[in-house]
Amino acid sequence: MDNVGFEARGVRKTFPGVLALQDVGIKLRGGSIHALLGENGAGKSTLIKIITGVHRPDSGEMLLNGAPVRFEGPREAIAAGIGVVHQERNLVPRFSVGENILLERLGGGLLRPIDYAAIHAEARRWLDVLELDLDPRTPVSQLNVAKMQLVEIAKALSLRSRVLLLDEPTASLTPHESLVLFGLLRKLRDEGVGILFVSHKLEEVQAICDEVTVLRDGRNACESRSMAGLERQDLVRLMIGRSEQIPNWTPRDRGAAEPMLELRDVSTSLGHKAVDLTVRRGEIVGLYGLVGAGRTELAKCILGLHAITQGAIVVAGRPERIADVADAVHRCKIGYISEDRKQEGLVLTHSVLQNAGITVWRGLANRLRLLGDRTVRSHVLPFIRKLEVRTPSLAQTVSNLSGGNQQKISVAKWLAAGARILIVDEPTVGIDIKTKAYIHELLRQLADEGTAILLITSDMPEIITLADRIVVMDDYRIKGDIINDRSYAPMSERIMHLIHDRDAA
Amino acid sequence: MTPVISRLARTDWFGPLAVIVFATIIVSAFDPSFLSPFNIQILMLAVAVNCVIAMSQMVIIAIGQMNLAVGAIGGLAAISFAGMMQIWGLPPLLAAAAALALGIVAGLANGLLISATGISAFIITLASLSIFKGANLGITRAQPFYGVPESVKAFGNTTIAGPIPWLALPAALVIAAMWYLLYRQRIGRYILAVGGNQSAAELSGISVPSAVLWAHAMSGFLAALAGVLLVARLQLGEPTIGDDWLILSFAAPVIGGAVLSGGHVSVFGTLFGVVIVAIITQALVIFRIDPFFVQVVLGLLILWAVGVNRLREVRMQRTLKRA
Repeated sequence: MDNVGFEARGVRKTFPGVLALQDVGIKLRGGSIHALLGENGAGKSTLIKIITGVHRPDSGEMLLNGAPVRFEGPREAIAAGIGVVHQERNLVPRFSVGENILLERLGGGLLRPIDYAAIHAEARRWLDVLELDLDPRTPVSQLNVAKMQLVEIAKALSLRSRVLLLDEPTASLTPHESLVLFGLLRKLRDEGVGILFVSHKLEEVQAICDEVTVLRDGRNACESRSMAGLERQDLVRLMIGRSEQIPNWTPRDRGAAEPMLELRDVSTSLGHKAVDLTVRRGEIVGLYGLVGAGRTELAKCILGLHAITQGAIVVAGRPERIADVADAVHRCKIGYISEDRKQEGLVLTHSVLQNAGITVWRGLANRLRLLGDRTVRSHVLPFIRKLEVRTPSLAQTVSNLSGGNQQKISVAKWLAAGARILIVDEPTVGIDIKTKAYIHELLRQLADEGTAILLITSDMPEIITLADRIVVMDDYRIKGDIINDRSYAPMSERIMHLIHDRDAA
Repeated sequence: MTPVISRLARTDWFGPLAVIVFATIIVSAFDPSFLSPFNIQILMLAVAVNCVIAMSQMVIIAIGQMNLAVGAIGGLAAISFAGMMQIWGLPPLLAAAAALALGIVAGLANGLLISATGISAFIITLASLSIFKGANLGITRAQPFYGVPESVKAFGNTTIAGPIPWLALPAALVIAAMWYLLYRQRIGRYILAVGGNQSAAELSGISVPSAVLWAHAMSGFLAALAGVLLVARLQLGEPTIGDDWLILSFAAPVIGGAVLSGGHVSVFGTLFGVVIVAIITQALVIFRIDPFFVQVVLGLLILWAVGVNRLREVRMQRTLKRA
C-alpha cells in the first residue's frame, strides 16, 4: 500500500483484569482523514495512547513511514511527528496560552532567558491558523473548555505533525467552532497530513472522513476501509453489531401534573435574570442553549452552590431556601448528574460500590448507626444491575472503567438516593450510541415512574428525542418555551429561532 | 477600586507588601526605635536566612509536593560545615562547598526515591527527615562544634554598608536566581508546569522525573545554604539548626500566594512573607509578649494567608464567569 504514514499491526494490550486490545490494526495514510469509531470501552483511547507512546503494547508492531518504531514515552512520539489532542484537557492552567502551545519548546539557555515575546508571536501564528481570536498572553485558566480545546489543537498543529490524532475534538465545541475545525482539518489533509479523528457524532464522521476503522470489544470490526458507500446505519452496525434503534416514543403531555420544581422570577449571583421554570412530576424538561448560556450555572444555583438573589424556588409546592448541596440532596431530594463526571461526578480513585453508595450513606447509617459494605451493596446493586454497568466487580476502581460505564454509575447513585427531581447535565457527552440510547431509555423510564427531570443538553437530537417540553436559555435568560412534538426539522428550527432573535429583541 | 489598585491587588506580592507597610507604621508608632539602623540590621539578618529557608520549600511547593526534610538537610549541612572546619581543618570555602554538595545529594536522594517509587513526597521526606536528623545527632552526639573560624563568624555578623549585613548578599543572589529560574528558564517553567498539571506536562514531552529531581536538588542546595549561613550567624555548628524551620518554610510561600497543590508560587511574595514573619516576631518582643506565642501567631498567619488566597481565587472565578 502506498503512502501509509503510520501503521499498527496485531496490537495487544492488557490492563489488570481487562483485555483492552486484541490483534488490532490500523493504517493512517498521509492526506486522508481517518475515523476511529467504537463504543465506549471498545479501546479507542487505549489505541490512541499506544500510538502516542503513553502506553506500550504487550505485543504487535508499529511502523512509521514503513520503518518499525517503538515509543518509550510521549516525548519520543512527539519527536517522531505524531501530534495528539487527548480527550482530557491537558493544559497548565496558570501558564499563558502561548506558553502552553510551545511548552516543550520554550528555548532559552542558562544565560539566555526565555523569550516570551517570540513565544507569543509564534503562538499567535498557530492561533491565526485556527482563526482563533485570542491573546496568546491570556492565562489558560481564564478560558472556557471550548477555547482550551482549540488551544490544544493549535498546540498539536504547531508541532507540524505529519500524523495528527484528535480524540473527540468536537465534544465541547459549538456547531460553528466545529465547522471551522473541519475546514482546517481538510486543509491539513490536502497538505498531506494523516489525521485520525475520533468522534461519537456520526454526522461529523460522514462529513469529513475518508477512511474508517471500527473497534468493537477491543478488536477490529473493520480496518482502514474507505468511507465510500458506508451509510450511517452501516457504521452503527459495525460499532454495535446491530443497527441503531430510534425510539418511537409517543409525545406526552404532563401539563396537568403537579409541579415538582418551580423557579419563580429567579435572579442569581451568577447573573441569571428573571428565570421562570417549571418541571412537573414525570416530566422531562429540556433546557437547551449554546455552550456558555448559563444552564449548568443555573443548575448549580438550584443546588445551593451559588446564591439566589431574587425570586423563589418552590419544591413540590413548598417554597424552599436551599442552603447547600446536602440540603438539596437530602431534604429536597434533588439529584444532580454533572456534565463533568471526572471532576465533579465521581471519586475516580474509589470503587464502584463507594461511588454508587455515596448518596445513601447518610440514610443507611442513620437507620443502623453502622455502615456495612453489605448494607450499601444490597441497596446499590439493583441499580448497578439495572443499568448494566460493565465492571469486573463492585470493588473495581472507577477510573479503570470506560466513560459510558462511569456515567451509568453517576446515574445509579442518584437512583439509589431516591431523587424526586433529577437535574441531568449533558448526560451523553462522549458516550457511545448504544449506551446513549440506554441512558435515554433510562431517563424516559424514570420520568414515567414519576421523577421530574431537568435535562440540560446541547445535543439537538437528544433534546428532541427526550424532552416533553423544551426551554431555551441564552445569555442567562429564558428565551422561550416550546412543547416538543418530536418532529426534528420544525422543532430544531424553532429552537434556533428562539436563540437567535436576541439581536431583534 | 481604581483600576491600578485592583490590578495590583491581583498580584501576589501586593497584599503582603501592604501588610508590611501597615505593620511597620503601627509598630514604629509605638516604638520609634523599630526603624533604627540597628533594629533594621537585626531584621535583615533574620530575613536573609529565613528567605533562603522559605525558597527551599517554595521550589518544592511549585512542583506540587512538600519537603518535610528541609530543616533536617539544613541541619546536617550546618554541622558538616562546622565539623569539617573544626575536625579536618578544611578552609571555610571548601567546607561550605562540601556542605552545599551534601545538601544537593540529600535533595537528589529525596527526588530519586519519590520519582522512582511514586510514593508521595510527604512520606519519603518524612522518612528522610528522620534519617538526616539521626545522622546529625550521631555525628555530633548532640554537642555543638565550636571551632568556627573568625572569617566565617565575621561574615555572619558584620555589615557591608550601613545596616546591610553580609548575609543579605547570598540571600539577594538566591532571590534573583530563583526569580530567573522560575520565570525565565526552561527548568523552572517545567517545574511549574508539572506542578500545575502533571499529565499535561508529561504528554507535552516534559520529563516529570527530571523536573522532580531538579526541584529537590535545588531544595536541598538551598536548605544546606541556609544551614551554612546560620552557622556563620550563630558562630557555632549547633545540632539543633533546622529543627524550627518547617512552619516558617510553609508559612512564607503561602503568605506570598503560593498554591499548595502546585503550579503557582511567587518569589517576591515569599520574600515579603518572610519579612512579615520577621516584623511580627519583633513586634512581639517590642510589646513584651511571651516569645513562645510566636508559634501561635505564625499558625494564625498561615490560616489568614490561606484564607486570603482562597478569597482571591473565588473572586477571580466569579469575575471569569461574568466575563
